[in-house]
Amino acid sequence: MKTRIALSGLALWLVTAPFLMGQPAAQFAKANQEYAAGDFKTAIDDYEALVRAGQDTPNLFYNLGNAYFRKNDFGRAILNYERALALDPHHPESEANVRIARDEARALELVPTQSERLFAFTNENQLVVTAAIAFWIGMFSIASWMIGRSRSALALSILSLSIFAIAVVACYQLSHGKNGPGLAIVTGDKVDARLATADNANRVLTLPAGSEIKIVSQRGDWIYAALPNNLRGWIPANSAEQVRF
Amino acid sequence: MKMSMFPRILLVAPIAIAAMQSSFAASPSVTAVLSDSQPAVGQMVQLEIKVNGANSANVPEAISIDGLEVHQTGTSRQFEMHNFDVSSSVTYNYTILPLKAGKFKIPPQTVRVGNDSLRTPELVLNVAQGSSSSGSSAGSAQTGQSTVGSKVAFAELVIAKKDAYVGEMVPAEIRLGFDPRAHGRLQEGPELSGQGFTTQKLQQPRENLETIGGRTYQVYTFKTAIAAARPGKFEIGPVTAKAAVVLPRRPSAPRTTRPRSPFDLFNQDDPFSDPFFSDPFGSMGERTELPIRSEAATLNVKPLPPNAPPNFSGAIGNFTMAADAKPKTVQVGDPITVTSTISGRGNFDRMNGPALEDERGWHKYPPSSKFKQDDDVGISGEKTFEMVLAPNEKKQAVPPLVFAYFDPVKENYVTLRSDPVPIQVEGGAAQAPGVAAAPATPTATVAITPAPTAKPQDILYQLTDLGRVRSFTPIYERPVFWTAQLPPLILLLAFIGWKIRRVKIDNREAQRVAALQQESTELLRKLRRSELSPQEYFSNASRVVRVKTALAKNINPNAVDAETAAKAFDLGEHERAQLRTLFDRSDELRFSGSGNGAKTISTDEREEVLGLLESLRA
Repeated sequence: MKTRIALSGLALWLVTAPFLMGQPAAQFAKANQEYAAGDFKTAIDDYEALVRAGQDTPNLFYNLGNAYFRKNDFGRAILNYERALALDPHHPESEANVRIARDEARALELVPTQSERLFAFTNENQLVVTAAIAFWIGMFSIASWMIGRSRSALALSILSLSIFAIAVVACYQLSHGKNGPGLAIVTGDKVDARLATADNANRVLTLPAGSEIKIVSQRGDWIYAALPNNLRGWIPANSAEQVRF
Repeated sequence: MKMSMFPRILLVAPIAIAAMQSSFAASPSVTAVLSDSQPAVGQMVQLEIKVNGANSANVPEAISIDGLEVHQTGTSRQFEMHNFDVSSSVTYNYTILPLKAGKFKIPPQTVRVGNDSLRTPELVLNVAQGSSSSGSSAGSAQTGQSTVGSKVAFAELVIAKKDAYVGEMVPAEIRLGFDPRAHGRLQEGPELSGQGFTTQKLQQPRENLETIGGRTYQVYTFKTAIAAARPGKFEIGPVTAKAAVVLPRRPSAPRTTRPRSPFDLFNQDDPFSDPFFSDPFGSMGERTELPIRSEAATLNVKPLPPNAPPNFSGAIGNFTMAADAKPKTVQVGDPITVTSTISGRGNFDRMNGPALEDERGWHKYPPSSKFKQDDDVGISGEKTFEMVLAPNEKKQAVPPLVFAYFDPVKENYVTLRSDPVPIQVEGGAAQAPGVAAAPATPTATVAITPAPTAKPQDILYQLTDLGRVRSFTPIYERPVFWTAQLPPLILLLAFIGWKIRRVKIDNREAQRVAALQQESTELLRKLRRSELSPQEYFSNASRVVRVKTALAKNINPNAVDAETAAKAFDLGEHERAQLRTLFDRSDELRFSGSGNGAKTISTDEREEVLGLLESLRA
């Protein structure tokens, strides 16, 4: 009986798997066709449906960004290019288009810290992998040195643990920097950052669409964010979206 | 040579005193300012003649000008010491009451300071008819007397204008006066109440003696500025404060019996007519908390005209602008710092920086600003904005900066425009037509054909491959990362276990070797002695050969025979024969019993055996 059930399940999976796996690709191709036909609104709907279905691929966010760009919604265009770059920091098409979109929208960018500029050649995940490898090499070297008192093992352990420490510090800096989890993009146009959570509070900075902010905290319908001019202010929560889900 | 402390002080003190005296002796200077240069008829204006570098001067007591009534009201002195630099100044206050409209010139006044004779600058007073909007203080100033009456204390709110625009900074003064005999000490305030306007923070008061209505008052003047938030008619004030004053004790006898104070010349019900003030030791005065309150003033606030220029951001006043850019030569994308300075008088706190007239081809970063005020309340000074620009293409000039403000005197908007700052941008694409106007160059004679508008940069194409699904979650937050750490952890533990086992094994081997070496040494020591029987001697000698062979070949010593030993030490034929003989003798003596053969071993034989044993080296 059990064998029969298992075989039935396997057969069902074999029949439906190609269909299920092929469905996102088909929907993606359909959205691309709509985009090519100039029906950007429908293309956006289809791309967004794929995003909601969990198809978080850099190419999907890049195409979605292009569709928003064509609709002159530069804020959301930049948001989706940034999402593509968050998934693949070296996505060349997104890098090129986000620059164009920023120029069009005159969007403001957060200023990276000195340490972020220093480690700009890498990203968090690469640093974590490097740190893990260096850690284990360091641990093995320490074990060898403690047992065998070998000088080379000691030197290797010092080198590995130094790399581990640098990688951890760099990872911390990047995760708390401008491209960290708090990064958000202003989707509304000319959003006023204010000194307090009130529409008539004094203005700190007016943010064009696509401007980068870093969310510090949230209170009700307001976001407290670090702004591109190194100040902080409150902006309505519905006028910005976080890059990372 | 050491100098004691006292002579050092004696040496330094005259130098310090001389430095102080030299500061005092700095040549005095004089300035004269009017609180308002455009009052209306009947509106009082304050004139201040300030002499710097002196603590007394001879000034005219009255200034005679036809159409103006000028009276000296008081004097105040200031001493300041910064490190060893002591400075002093004396300020003479006058009130000017315009009696008729017109343009009046207050001629230079001669001020004598010691042997020096100084002259104030000439001042001009434009007096308008009574309905003038730029009225002076008296019209709008309200004077309120304290509850005690006009004799002890008063509060006064002086606003420079009756009419203002929304957001315009209007200078205001709060004046609190005390009869010097009451030793008034401010305890709370002053506070300016009212709604719909903001006030600048009150500064430290200026203190002087003034004669008002024939009476002398110690007057504390607080300066501030008021800005209305919306149009309408506002009541500013009243000003309230609390002061502690010394009042004469209540008279126990009927008033008619009390002798009048010498201050109460005009029988004005002066509370200081108390005998306490003529004989302070005769009876005690009482310190009383005295609330002081002025009348409210009225300010008519007008809305700004509707035709504001696009760059207007709320600046109201009268300003000038200067701009510069550095560096002058950059590459495309390099930052250029554009500095613009707005100077003048107005609401600097609500002022945004100038805007670029044409931003195309530039990447602009938010400006920073700093304000340097020239007065006490921050409505006069200069605000410097620094804006970083990066050219996206070749440029020849930073475009003009545009700054718009509303001038409340002219009652219209003014737009300031700076000159383009010539720069050189190298690299990158050529400047797009229609982008920021560049200054004329010698090549400007070339015929320019109308070019199509520059097409904006287009984005790259769509991608057709959906690609692999990835996660926004950092790798260190994923379970798979921590699962992946298990194999190296297990490997590390295995490695440590293996290493420990190896050490233990190595230790056993070392112990065995040490035991064999010790046994060999001990046996050789015995062999060198002469008391051993032949059986013991040859048995021990063969054991030495076995142990040495075992050490050399890392084998069990019991398994060693003559041939193995000879091979292990690569012996020659003679030594092999000796070794065989040694093993044979040992076996013979061990298995045939000690009775056979000689009882002792000859010295030659002993030496021969010992020589053989010592020659066994790997």
